[in-house]
Amino acid sequence: MENKCENLSLYIIGELSVDEMAQFEQHLITCKHCRKEVNSLKETWQMLSYDVEEMDVPESLKAEVMDFIFQENSTESVQAKGTENKGSSLAQAKTAENVATLQVQEGELKKRSYLDGLKAFLGRQFSPLSTGITAVLLLGLIGLFWINLHLKENIVVLENKASSQTQIVRTFDLKGVNLAASASGSAYLLEEGRDTVLVIDLSKLPSTKDEEVYQVWLLKNGNRQSAGTLKPDPNGNGIITSRLPKDLSFDDIGITLEPTPNNTQPQGQKVLGTS
Amino acid sequence: MAVLFSVYYSLYLIKLFHKGENSAVKSKTDEELIALINQKHRPALEELYDRYVKLVYSFSFKLTKGDREKTKEIVQQVFLRLWTTTRIYNPLQGKFANWILTITRNIAIDIIRKEQKQPGMVQLELNEWWQMEDQETEDVPQQVSRNLLKQQIQEAKQHLSEPQQRLINLLYWEGYSLSEIAKMEQKPLGTIKSRLHQTLKILRNYFSKEIGGVPHGK
Repeated sequence: MENKCENLSLYIIGELSVDEMAQFEQHLITCKHCRKEVNSLKETWQMLSYDVEEMDVPESLKAEVMDFIFQENSTESVQAKGTENKGSSLAQAKTAENVATLQVQEGELKKRSYLDGLKAFLGRQFSPLSTGITAVLLLGLIGLFWINLHLKENIVVLENKASSQTQIVRTFDLKGVNLAASASGSAYLLEEGRDTVLVIDLSKLPSTKDEEVYQVWLLKNGNRQSAGTLKPDPNGNGIITSRLPKDLSFDDIGITLEPTPNNTQPQGQKVLGTS
Repeated sequence: MAVLFSVYYSLYLIKLFHKGENSAVKSKTDEELIALINQKHRPALEELYDRYVKLVYSFSFKLTKGDREKTKEIVQQVFLRLWTTTRIYNPLQGKFANWILTITRNIAIDIIRKEQKQPGMVQLELNEWWQMEDQETEDVPQQVSRNLLKQQIQEAKQHLSEPQQRLINLLYWEGYSLSEIAKMEQKPLGTIKSRLHQTLKILRNYFSKEIGGVPHGK
């Protein structure tokens, strides 16, 4: 009994091994005297820590400590380095018996450290709300990117259509007759992809009066179809472009001087033609 | 434009949310902060740092005899320990300040000792926990009680003999073990053990006389 009571102060300063500590705790249950003493002596031992001058903490320390914690690999913190040296230093004696427990802990820590580190990092950076918002934004971004890709594709298709397939399929010489015997011109039939365009370029046209216009007619087996009207500039030049419906074919072009625009059949005199 | 706006708005929301989180930890108890730290909540650790760094720093500064580099190393290790600990702090087991100081002392002795003779050492929290009921009155502001306690301890120390004071210095502040001290003092270990017991009893008597805070058992 007496022998066990001697360990009271060692127990209080934490200099007992795990076994000895367990034994002493057993002893505490039965020894009234030690039980009476243990708490107050422990508190006395702890109060020694108040014998300290208060220091000013450097402002920069917080950043250094936080960087140390959040940038270092967290497993380094557990300073487990097997105790080979059976020296008698205070902490060694105190904790040598706990090595086994710690090693188990350390093994687990290492296993989990990478995953936990990542989890902890993400957890710190993203609260549930910000995770949600980030996800929505990311989805939006992906959507925009996708739409953009498609637009680009469409533009490429259109450009190819426009640039590669325009070609002149037929040209016509136009000669003046009657009123406009001095006039002349050319007509070009263009194919642009699936569209057909007729371009007529005229010069030396007599000027028109009032509502008078020159009207272009396309002739096929004696049928005439209007292909637009024009008024020449003061120099007598004029150009007209008309997009023709698909499948429209014609043999000749005739141009008349019409007293009013938008006639469906020619009313005025023929002034130019292909023949 | 709408996209830019929504990005900006959500950044604003995130910022607001984080700000809220940070100010929320201010009203938490130490116990709640430790629970949050266990869930890897960084603002909680920063708050705990703000509350205890002065205590930890001053204590480490004395333990290292004013070595600022080592003091910094100790503070880093203490808060790293808090960050990685899997313990749930239970106020029934003692005041948080005592707990953090016990951790600090173990880490400090480890660091100081490592330099002196490179022993491989392991620090465990097991011994840092005192199964002690906290008798402190919670109404006294911590700062005031700390200054009061400091005064008490310095007065109590006056009543110790020269060898007793030396023992406390070597044991508590320099971290030597009792058998190391026995060698230094060229006395049997048993003598040092009983000297320690005597010393603690004297200190306890003066503490309890002056503040009535430390009870003689029950």
